[in-house]
Amino acid sequence: MLTQVKDAPSMTATAASTVDFVSLSNLTLKARIARTISEEIVAGFYAWPVWVIMGWDDIRQRYRRSVIGPFWITLSMGVFILLLGVIYSRLFHMELENYLPYLSIGYIVWGFMSAAINDSCIAFTDTSRIIKQIKLPYSVYVLRMVWRNFIIFLHTIVIYIPIAIIFKIEPNLKMLLAIPGLILVCVNLIWMATVIAILSTRYRDIQPIVGTTIQLGMFATPIMWPISSLGNARIVAEVNPAYHLIEIARAPLLGEFAGLHSWLAAIGLAIVGSVLAAALMVRASRRIVFWI
Amino acid sequence: MASIFLKNVGVDIPIFDVKTASLKKALLGRTIGGPFARSGAHLMVSALKNLDFEAHDGDRIALVGDNGAGKSTLLRVVSHVYPPTSGMVHVVGKVSPMFDTTLGMSMDATGMENIQIAGTIWGMTRAQIRNSTDDIVEFTELGEFLKVPVRTYSNGMLLRLAFAIATIRDPEILLIDEAIGVGDSGFFKKAFARLLQLVERSRILMVASHQDDTLRRLCNKAAWLSHGNLMAFGEFENVLSAYRNPNAPAQQPATA
Repeated sequence: MLTQVKDAPSMTATAASTVDFVSLSNLTLKARIARTISEEIVAGFYAWPVWVIMGWDDIRQRYRRSVIGPFWITLSMGVFILLLGVIYSRLFHMELENYLPYLSIGYIVWGFMSAAINDSCIAFTDTSRIIKQIKLPYSVYVLRMVWRNFIIFLHTIVIYIPIAIIFKIEPNLKMLLAIPGLILVCVNLIWMATVIAILSTRYRDIQPIVGTTIQLGMFATPIMWPISSLGNARIVAEVNPAYHLIEIARAPLLGEFAGLHSWLAAIGLAIVGSVLAAALMVRASRRIVFWI
Repeated sequence: MASIFLKNVGVDIPIFDVKTASLKKALLGRTIGGPFARSGAHLMVSALKNLDFEAHDGDRIALVGDNGAGKSTLLRVVSHVYPPTSGMVHVVGKVSPMFDTTLGMSMDATGMENIQIAGTIWGMTRAQIRNSTDDIVEFTELGEFLKVPVRTYSNGMLLRLAFAIATIRDPEILLIDEAIGVGDSGFFKKAFARLLQLVERSRILMVASHQDDTLRRLCNKAAWLSHGNLMAFGEFENVLSAYRNPNAPAQQPATA
């Protein structure tokens, strides 16, 4: 027969032994904030087996449909980078050996960010069957979207390897900064995905708005063009959070230091954004199930 | 020990249409005001009203009532899927909802992979899944089919696998909504026996169904819901006859 395994901290809300569920009128604001953060956000990180397996299954499905799976994305990105690299390096009067590594890393990181945010629009609506049946922390569904796109990112970042070899990017210690850089990118993606997942569940017309914004964002962010080409109008890129997020991942991989202000912007954004996302979750978490 | 305690619980469910689910409309309503302002308001349905309800170890409760009476809503409140709009819900014990057995099944994944995926979503640990895999394999009689994607399965095969996965848990509070589909009739007996085992392992059972015979075999108590109100709650046959013959006199009031 089965034996029940008693985990120390309960893995999910369903595994908790005692749960009080009271209406808003019986909750103080402080209690409401504390409970939402622990039950809807933090508990989701503890329930990592759930979103890890859901994300893996998403990727496995792509492999089932074609042998190379997500490497299709790698392939199309590679072609795009090659084509654009050759043409735009002339446009911007840049050496191919400088421009192509810059473009490829920026574009790959952007691809990760934009896909995660696009997917977060359907984080709750796509899993409505589960949400209406089992109480799992809402962050589980958000983390699944970020996680599955991170796996895809690991597929696309391989483009960096031949480029680093061909254009002789010297390995150096600065490159290790790409790891905290990417972690900061993920932290920012998680709060952004949380906000967008909640809003686009309530308002269904947010999804196309997000899609269009991301499309435009790619042209407005220094990915295909270097920030120096803005000249005096540098501020246009500096106020763009996406620029700093890309920069802290891109610069180390190019063997350079990202500006301190980019690191500070990314950290500040992560803090402010996480508070915003938590506040929105406190406000919305009791209603999301009725929106889907 | 497991227990369920509901006091004064009300659940209002907002109904959204295309207009109220639109950001554009909501913004227009805010800036323009007047008649447009009303487009932000949406219809509310009271699915449960001031419900008092209590259940303890050994209770096997049948939820009866017409469609839309609030049976599913009550189950969802107990399983913490629906937060109450008013009142208080206090649940002691691990809740295992079983509303739709095919939950979490991934059509492109193989049977074996689905045992992992669905088992994890149902809240089982890796060790628990590993220990019960043999049991599932044996019960489903699917054999080699477990190695191919479940989209190639017949409907009956899929339900069999889903049912086997959904019934390996060790619930303290088991919640079942409507009849559980198990496929062909030859399999039904075996499935029902397994369901009985699951019920026996649980401390509290709440099951919503329209099949009196099934309920009679599973339950010792019944709760009759109508339009979100608890009409009667108590000994199974008493409540069921009250529900089936509403004109019969002298029904006990809904006091928990």
